[in-house]
Amino acid sequence: MKFPRVNIAVPAIATVLMLSACGETGGSDATSDATSEAASAPLPNGMTVQQQIEARQGQLEKVGEAFKAISDQLKADSPDIAIIQEAAAAVPEATQDMADWWPEGSGPESGVETDALPSIWENMADFQEKVGNMKDAAAQLNVAAQSGDVVAVGEAFKATGGTCKACHDDYRLDD
Amino acid sequence: MNDGQAQTRIWDWTVRLFHWLIVLIVPALWWTADQGLMDWHKRLGLTMFALLLFRLTWGVVGTWTARFLPMLRQLLSLPSYLKNLVAGNHEPSFGHSPLGTLSVIALLGLLSVQVTTGLFSVDVDGLESGPLATLVAFKTGRELADIHELNFDLLVIFIALHISAIAVYRWLFKNDLIRPMVTGMRSDIQAPTTIVVHVWELAIGIAVALAGVYGVTRLG
Repeated sequence: MKFPRVNIAVPAIATVLMLSACGETGGSDATSDATSEAASAPLPNGMTVQQQIEARQGQLEKVGEAFKAISDQLKADSPDIAIIQEAAAAVPEATQDMADWWPEGSGPESGVETDALPSIWENMADFQEKVGNMKDAAAQLNVAAQSGDVVAVGEAFKATGGTCKACHDDYRLDD
Repeated sequence: MNDGQAQTRIWDWTVRLFHWLIVLIVPALWWTADQGLMDWHKRLGLTMFALLLFRLTWGVVGTWTARFLPMLRQLLSLPSYLKNLVAGNHEPSFGHSPLGTLSVIALLGLLSVQVTTGLFSVDVDGLESGPLATLVAFKTGRELADIHELNFDLLVIFIALHISAIAVYRWLFKNDLIRPMVTGMRSDIQAPTTIVVHVWELAIGIAVALAGVYGVTRLG
């Protein structure tokens, strides 16, 4: 009784495996085609989704770099105000057109890897208000830095960080 | 049956205190990170750094069952230990068993990687960072933070393995490993050497731990 069973089972398993392998390949090909299509689709501003997402990630990375430079100096025994000033000036510059970084279609539904949550586009008014708060706080931070007052920089830095977090808590995938 | 038998000390109080402090601090570190309480995360992390420095030093200058060299020598008998274990012949060890030694290496190693990467880590916004992050670039700090996150998952896996092993010893081999880690004593074992904490050795361990914390706060 055992032998016929094995004889049937082996080709049966092999067939199932081959079928499922075909299905997987076909499936992933279809998905990646759809993804690359959405990624290279042009947005109204002329950029592709891929370009848009990479551009805003690059700008936000500049902000992170500037914040770390300021935070490093605030930790130091004798902060170098010149480094703080340069970094504080870089933030408003990098975020000048921040309101335009999240056009319709540049969310995770595009298939391009992004930590931006769909809730951004569902609450665009609130999201834009938070972007505005961040830009205001960053401008204040720059004013404090250019005045050379390290204590004021410390306070403005905390306030700016708070506006970043306020938005990230609601609109960015948990890190 | 064991009532009349003499109790033998196998773990000194520093080893036990270190062990149970870690049991408290690791979940607290996870929780503070999860809640974004980074000031507390850093304080606890620095405490963990000091504890690890003490334990690593204690593994060189401390009591026999805490020392790394005898533990590593024990690894030579790992194959025969495992063969006996599979056959159901289990003898309690004086200190770490060869298998327990592997657990010590894995857990102390993972904790060391965790603490070291944490010292240099930077969060994605550049707002929060470890005390030594000032020494590295933003990108490097981000990479170390990624390792910090991955390594924590590994740590959790090995802690789960550690707890499972203790359960297996308890139920399968009738060997309670938890009680001795609390009391320091076993009644079913011959001690080849005495376990006594000497003040000068303790002073060396504490000095290294404090010097490490001082160094980190000075450098950062």
